[in-house]
Amino acid sequence: MSRSRLAVVLAQAQGKNPAKRALEESIVAALIMESGLDVSVVPHLYDLDAEHTGRMFLESIPGDMVLLSWLFPRAAFWLLDRDNIKGHWGETQLKPVDNDDLDDEEAATPEPPKGIGALNVPDRFIYCLDLRDSNNHGAFVEEIRRIAAECKTRQDAKTAAVAPKLLDLGTNLRNGDSKNGDIKTPVSFNPEQLLQTPDRRWYPVIDYSRCTNCLECLDFCLFGVYGMDGHERINVENQDNCKRGCPPAAASVPSRRSCFPITRLPRLPERRSAPSAR
Amino acid sequence: MADALIFMMGKFEAVLPGDLRFCRNHMWCRPADETLRFGFTSYAVRLMQDVYFLDWQVNVGDRVAETQQIGHIETSKAVSDLFAPLAGMLIQFNQDVLKDPSAINVDNYGIGWLFEMSGPARDTLSAQEYHDFLDAGWEKTQRMLKGHM
Repeated sequence: MSRSRLAVVLAQAQGKNPAKRALEESIVAALIMESGLDVSVVPHLYDLDAEHTGRMFLESIPGDMVLLSWLFPRAAFWLLDRDNIKGHWGETQLKPVDNDDLDDEEAATPEPPKGIGALNVPDRFIYCLDLRDSNNHGAFVEEIRRIAAECKTRQDAKTAAVAPKLLDLGTNLRNGDSKNGDIKTPVSFNPEQLLQTPDRRWYPVIDYSRCTNCLECLDFCLFGVYGMDGHERINVENQDNCKRGCPPAAASVPSRRSCFPITRLPRLPERRSAPSAR
Repeated sequence: MADALIFMMGKFEAVLPGDLRFCRNHMWCRPADETLRFGFTSYAVRLMQDVYFLDWQVNVGDRVAETQQIGHIETSKAVSDLFAPLAGMLIQFNQDVLKDPSAINVDNYGIGWLFEMSGPARDTLSAQEYHDFLDAGWEKTQRMLKGHM
């Protein structure tokens, strides 16, 4: 995969809902006809553990990425971040059609405090699209075309800003973090490997754009799910220690700074602006 | 083995095996050693139709109360909450139906079982009692179904 090509990954819905599967298939069928895109399909993002080939594939993607999933964009973005698949927040113009309830809820909620943000973010963007935002595959294809053009413009500007080297015998397969010069290429897996049905998982995801490191969740959880990283920041250290159906950690901190992405609780408020990263 | 009974849902024959116990939430119960295995009755599967997704919100080892919400199911008809048929402790879930819930449609009394619990099978119904229970509510159920059509 060249850095000039945009990686598009579709994470399937859990279960066998034919309407969801049809939308997924229509999107993939349309995207593989587009030039400049590398399209892959993996199972539901939330269930991918570190050993799953779908997760390994996601980890190996070096540059900008579009992720289509049946998750709220913020949940998908911070889920990837927890799994060390980091990037800057790519703003999508695709929004839910019917957002009235959400607007009411957001209007009643005071602006959450600024979170502590992400660490060690490489020089690439990750765009997360929620497959529930439209029933029309064309809306997703159109948005991905727009994102591809945006990424190309950004790449071209970056290339123009860098003085050409006298001699460069390398390929253009540089990692997103070009400062350390790592060469990284996506790992190749066949579609059957990528689509192996994983076991179900249940764990919280911290939204670092809102998390203020108050440590209430660490204090609350009895099962050792949360821990501190080397920078004295809260993290979800032992994801699979979490107990299914237990949402109190999310409720224990204000402003829903952590969430359970597949909970059937009412829709989480989406932030309008980009999550902070540093 | 006691003979199976048939409950007629219009022209559809819902089979009620005579060797099983039944619960009022339309799950069957098969006592074996110390555990009770549960699944959906043919009556429930006929009403739900194709099962797309099944999820639990309790863990193996959890103690649950009767009628406590334990999960939900997405079918071609609706998304419905699922409740514990009895009080007891959850022993295991059928991992195969979590990965592919169509087994519930294919073989609801066999490979499409849902979970196992420990606990007394108190207040469960025989096939005849469950048949009578369905019969008593059938008129009302039909009115509700037609009202939704």
